Amino acid sequence: MKKFLALALAAMMCLSMVSLASADDVTIKFWFWADNDAYAQTMQEMIADFNATNGKGITVVGEQQDWNGGEYSNNLLTAAIGGGAPDVATFKLTATPAFVNNGQLANLDEFIANWADKDQINENLYNTMKQASGTDSIYVMPWNTQVLYVYYRPSMFEAAGIGVPTTYEEFLEDCKKLTHDGVYGFGMRGSNGGQEPWGCFLYAGGGDWEHMDSEGAIKGMQDYIDLYKNGYVPETAPNDGFSQVIDNFKSGLTAMTIHHIGSSAQMIETFGDDVDAFIFPKGEGQWTSMGDTETVMFESCANKEAAFEWMAYLATGKGQETWCTVTGNVPVAARVQALPQFQENKFMKVSIEGASVAGILPVRDTTTQWIKDWPGVIQQALLGDITAEECMKQLQAAMWEE
Amino acid sequence: MQKTVRRKRRSGIWPYLLLAPAMIIMLSVVVVPIINAVGMSFQNYNLVKPNKMGWIGLGNYQKLLTNDPQFWKSLWRTVVWVFFGVGGQFLFGFMLALLLNKEFKGRGVIRAVSLIPWVTPGVLIALMWSWMFDGNYGVINDILLKLGIISDKIAFLAKKDSAMPSVIITIIWQGIPFFALMILAGLQGIPADLYEAAAIDGATGWQKLYYVTIPSLRNTIFVTTMLRVIWVANSVDVIFNMTGGGPAYATQTLSVYVYNKASALDMGYASAMALMLMLVLLLVAIPYLRANFRDQEG
Amino acid sequence: MNEKKPLSRILLLWVPLVLFLIFLLFPFYWTLVTSLKTDAELHSLTVRYWPTQPTLQAYEHLFGSYNFLHPMKNSLIVAAITTVVSLTVSTLAAYAFSRFRFAGRKPLMLLFLTNNMFPTVLLLIPLFTIMRQIKLLYTPWALVLSYTTFTIPFSVWLLNGYLNDLPISMEEAAMIDGADRATAFVKIVLPVLLPCLLATGVYIFMQSWNEYTFAVLFTNEANRTIPVSLKMLVGQLGVQWDLITAGGIITVIPVCIMFFFAQKRLVAGLTAGAVKG
Repeated sequence: MKKFLALALAAMMCLSMVSLASADDVTIKFWFWADNDAYAQTMQEMIADFNATNGKGITVVGEQQDWNGGEYSNNLLTAAIGGGAPDVATFKLTATPAFVNNGQLANLDEFIANWADKDQINENLYNTMKQASGTDSIYVMPWNTQVLYVYYRPSMFEAAGIGVPTTYEEFLEDCKKLTHDGVYGFGMRGSNGGQEPWGCFLYAGGGDWEHMDSEGAIKGMQDYIDLYKNGYVPETAPNDGFSQVIDNFKSGLTAMTIHHIGSSAQMIETFGDDVDAFIFPKGEGQWTSMGDTETVMFESCANKEAAFEWMAYLATGKGQETWCTVTGNVPVAARVQALPQFQENKFMKVSIEGASVAGILPVRDTTTQWIKDWPGVIQQALLGDITAEECMKQLQAAMWEE
Repeated sequence: MQKTVRRKRRSGIWPYLLLAPAMIIMLSVVVVPIINAVGMSFQNYNLVKPNKMGWIGLGNYQKLLTNDPQFWKSLWRTVVWVFFGVGGQFLFGFMLALLLNKEFKGRGVIRAVSLIPWVTPGVLIALMWSWMFDGNYGVINDILLKLGIISDKIAFLAKKDSAMPSVIITIIWQGIPFFALMILAGLQGIPADLYEAAAIDGATGWQKLYYVTIPSLRNTIFVTTMLRVIWVANSVDVIFNMTGGGPAYATQTLSVYVYNKASALDMGYASAMALMLMLVLLLVAIPYLRANFRDQEG
Repeated sequence: MNEKKPLSRILLLWVPLVLFLIFLLFPFYWTLVTSLKTDAELHSLTVRYWPTQPTLQAYEHLFGSYNFLHPMKNSLIVAAITTVVSLTVSTLAAYAFSRFRFAGRKPLMLLFLTNNMFPTVLLLIPLFTIMRQIKLLYTPWALVLSYTTFTIPFSVWLLNGYLNDLPISMEEAAMIDGADRATAFVKIVLPVLLPCLLATGVYIFMQSWNEYTFAVLFTNEANRTIPVSLKMLVGQLGVQWDLITAGGIITVIPVCIMFFFAQKRLVAGLTAGAVKG
């Protein structure tokens, strides 16, 4: 009986110690999506590392969420409006207006101003974040970026007797030259998310986001249509999304396609040395898309200092290094960018080279709808329902109405 | 029919007590959200633009009825989608049920595996079928090529005239087991003496089907079809994940349109469209219901 | 049956049955083949009907580090509870609709029907709020409760349809013999209704086993269900075909086995009822 009592007492003491320790602890709920299950595991390892090393009693609890072709942002918004937001979440810049307009995100200005690592991140990037919110404040914390470039197969270029195109005209010409025997010159993305690679054509033709109905823009669109009509891209193009475009390139069906460094690991795995990249060449103008992944803190977060610690760990700390090394994304922190594994990577070099012409879609309150409408309008033009001019007028009106 | 003769009973509180649990569970969850959705349909309710929200009366309805050609086209596509989708499911499901009701060796196993399309997770169905319909690696192209039916690969999901048939085949495939199972269950309730009497009268197999089986199942057939029509008209995942409503809107049904608007956070307009779809479904259902009620009252 | 006429049996039974099975099962077969292929072979331009080097890697990975048994368990819990709850309350309600005539019967039936006509995507935000306020969010009960909102109306109508098709004479006979309504229901109606209850139960089970839209919002990692877990294998870099197809195969098999045993009850219930009654 005595033994039992002693045991019970010891157990109670242990329990109270645990609860004592946790009284000082802060828990940060963190939502993230992962592009495959290996990345999800990496994230959990980073969280474990942060929890073990932060020394401030902060415990991050990470929960993987479904990306679901971008519905992630809507689910996050549903949870936030429903009062169940996490403290910190990974984020896409295009979703910023909806969240900021609903007052869901915490203003990060103060935190960033007092942050030792502030200058690790390029001023331009901060400006992009401000621009996205439509305010002078930063609500979104940079994490990593992906610049779109053109993947190509050197062996196919050699067989066709061509080199890397230096002008837009050459690029179009090469699409034709590379097309033969069931191989297509270019892998076109005519379905969801295709507006980003398409932007390269818009600018090369001579248009820009503010003037999508200009003559140059219409020419860019016409080139896009012609690639499809002339059979230089797979016939499936109107229904091809990201995964088809990557798969078609990996299977050798297409000689070139536009994607970012995130897929370079699998490209190297498939082709070894027989894959390389270049920035979409200059025509009348030049543009490429800067893809992005950020983190945000919610206004409802009770421990904002602790939450910012975790965001900082991801942006410039150990987390930045681990994540970018594993996923191959372009780091935002200068210190990490300078590390040899990033300096020596050829895809990273192209990405950094492209950064000077890289931009984002105009972030307006019409953007969300515009992105949803893009495939339908473009498909109509590809399939000949409407002309290039009508197509561009519709897109211009949808983006800039009111 | 004998069963239509049904005595009316004054039954006091009993039916309400029996209904209570179902009503309470259901209403406690959906009443608020549905009222909320109806309210949104009369507002400019776009979550991206919360500062521009406000009551606009029938504004959304006016816009979709008079100023949105996609609405009417999508409605028409819904009709095509439901007619062929549910029609195919019913026809093949009925046939399968009759087959599975016969006695033969291995019936249990075949009944179990016939259910597979229905068991397969919805997220996988669309992926798998778009993979099979794929214009570059798709097995359907390969089979048709090998059989000599086509001479070139067809980009089924990227062509306007083949996209809708492709998604309809997928939904038929998915729904056959539903009808098969429901009708199979209904078949078990038909008294054997009805068939015996028909046999004595010298009825052939077809006559038995027409004069005994179908009349005995009329309520089951009516209910399953109606429920399935509602279900298929509202279903989004197959189309959305196979074509996203494309190419060039060729497969954009009204429910896909609603889903697109809702995921662009334009909740007001999406709700108005959803309520219009509901109205259309009710208009379709009411004549059915009337016939059914009249039939029951005798 | 007609053992004497083998030819007509082949034409009327086996030929159509085989055609059906090919159509119904080919996609399943293809899922299986895909799950066994290596990534390189999957995207080769020559279609292979059996992998040259079948590999079980995907399955090892799925049960190993991906821990797929966990979402399977969660799905099973949710589906089982939803089935029991929906089936019980729906049977009572359907019986009331079918066997009683009372004020408000038609409007109530219509109410049940219209409940199924509204797209769930528009109900999500308020439902999320409700679930959070009643503290059910991130528990299996959040899913059970939201699933019953579409399984109950469906089942009530379905069972009402079945009940209306059942001959009422035996029930009345029993009641004339002095049995009260409840006894008549349990002794006479239930045995006859068993195949239909089974079919409806399978329906409810299937819907809750495969539901995605609510599940993605109302679960966290601890109680995530199969569809969400599978959908997570589609990221921004493509589909993890081997894992997602292997997951599909694993999901299908236990349900089919369960149904194999259950379908033995899918025989003429009337005879069984007559014997017992």
